[in-house]
Amino acid sequence: MIQLFHLFKNFGANVALQDINLRVRKGEFVFVTGPSGAGKTTLLRLMFGAEKPTSGHILINGINLNRIGRKKLDLLRRKVGFVFQDFKLLTGRTVFENVALALEVRGERPSYVRKKAHLALRSVGLAKKEQSYPLQLSGGEQQRVAIARAIVNDPLVLLADEPTGNLDPDLTREIMLLFRTIHMKGTTVVVATHSRELLQETAQRQVILNRGRLIGEK
Amino acid sequence: MKLRLAPYFIRQAIQNVRKNWLVHVVGVSTMVISFLIFGTFLLLFYNLDSWIHGWGDTLSMSIYLEDGIDRGTRGKLVSLIREIPGAHIERTITKKQAFIDLKRALGREASVLEGLPRNPLPASIEVAFHPSGGEKPDPEKLRKKLEAFTGVAEVQYSEEWLNRFEGLMKVFRLAGLIIGGLLGLGVLFIVTNTIKLTIYSRQEEIEIMKLVGATDWFVKTPFLLEGSMQGIVSGMLSVLVLYSGYLILSVKKADIFGFALLDFVFIPNSYTLTIFVVSVALGLLGSFIALGRFFRL
Repeated sequence: MIQLFHLFKNFGANVALQDINLRVRKGEFVFVTGPSGAGKTTLLRLMFGAEKPTSGHILINGINLNRIGRKKLDLLRRKVGFVFQDFKLLTGRTVFENVALALEVRGERPSYVRKKAHLALRSVGLAKKEQSYPLQLSGGEQQRVAIARAIVNDPLVLLADEPTGNLDPDLTREIMLLFRTIHMKGTTVVVATHSRELLQETAQRQVILNRGRLIGEK
Repeated sequence: MKLRLAPYFIRQAIQNVRKNWLVHVVGVSTMVISFLIFGTFLLLFYNLDSWIHGWGDTLSMSIYLEDGIDRGTRGKLVSLIREIPGAHIERTITKKQAFIDLKRALGREASVLEGLPRNPLPASIEVAFHPSGGEKPDPEKLRKKLEAFTGVAEVQYSEEWLNRFEGLMKVFRLAGLIIGGLLGLGVLFIVTNTIKLTIYSRQEEIEIMKLVGATDWFVKTPFLLEGSMQGIVSGMLSVLVLYSGYLILSVKKADIFGFALLDFVFIPNSYTLTIFVVSVALGLLGSFIALGRFFRL
């Protein structure tokens, strides 16, 4: 599903990633781990097409991100959900509108948007908070809204960058349970985290980064 | 682009305007003022042009006769004039009548004429030409023809000074183009900055929309509509205010600049439509420029 070949990424003189080779199979659940500054966020942003590699290739579902234009990248993003550490919710829109946005940009019919957004919010346990605004919710609830938005399009891949970074251990467990549920339905999930507690509790594949290099796997 | 997205785009554009209403009020006001300046100029230009062309349509000619012209020659001249298509003798002025007219015109200063040894004014025939069969007579040809006639001292015609007006109108037209061009650039600058401000206020939203897979056009369309809406409102208000101003001024025209003597009309529909179309086009173009500079996501 995801293939990285000899991937390098520099920001000016700073080397963020060096010669990364990685393959994530369809339906796999992978943790990308390592200390802060290891290059986890950069790696996920490259997979999402938010950054271009300095050299190397990224294939998502067989599509080489180096060889597609802006419009095709926009369309590809509809098949890849992304969950951010800081949620990236629109505070001026309701929970429902935030989730519906991912469907509206696809030009879906209003009736379909209503149905799908409601289902996505129900799957993350927020059906009763559809008309609330993000700032009226707790951190865990906001992250669940972000997850609902990421999965509402039934993505092939779900990328999550430190999704529990701002949450306490109970909420962290709750969010991880949600990711496992999504994975069980067949979605390929890649989660970047530096939380050792989180990794100790899991038996999933772990890819370890340090100073921009892939130094091992568990 | 899917047609069913149209309500979504319109809704978004209206929301943008509501969120940034003050910026839009300032933008629209400035646009209206600019178009009003241009519209007023257009109104004056159109009326001046109409008056000048109206006068020019009726050519009048003064034929000054030599002193001592005999009755027979005078009769031949009158016959010659009557043979010219569209020519109509308005008035025959004798030397004596010309002197009386001058005295009357000078009023209190008429005493200056008392010391004259003889009447220096010539007798004259005033001729008006009404275009026959849509053909306008060539005044210069006529002047030469009449001046060649024995007993005719000089011929003057109204178009000589009308031609000078034509020159003035050319300068006026050029000034209008320059003013219009500068105002157009000003309007473009205003719209571009208005839309830029609304884009900045929605920067986070745009970023998130792009992250969930919105195409550039999906994000851009509401802003383009917003610019067009600003153009539509400004265009309509400009025409409305210009027409209201015209109505108020034309009612009081007897007291203002003596315009009551002239037929002061509003600009034709094609001109008002042009103001409206240019306003919308500038609104749209301004949005395009603002978006083009902004989209680097």
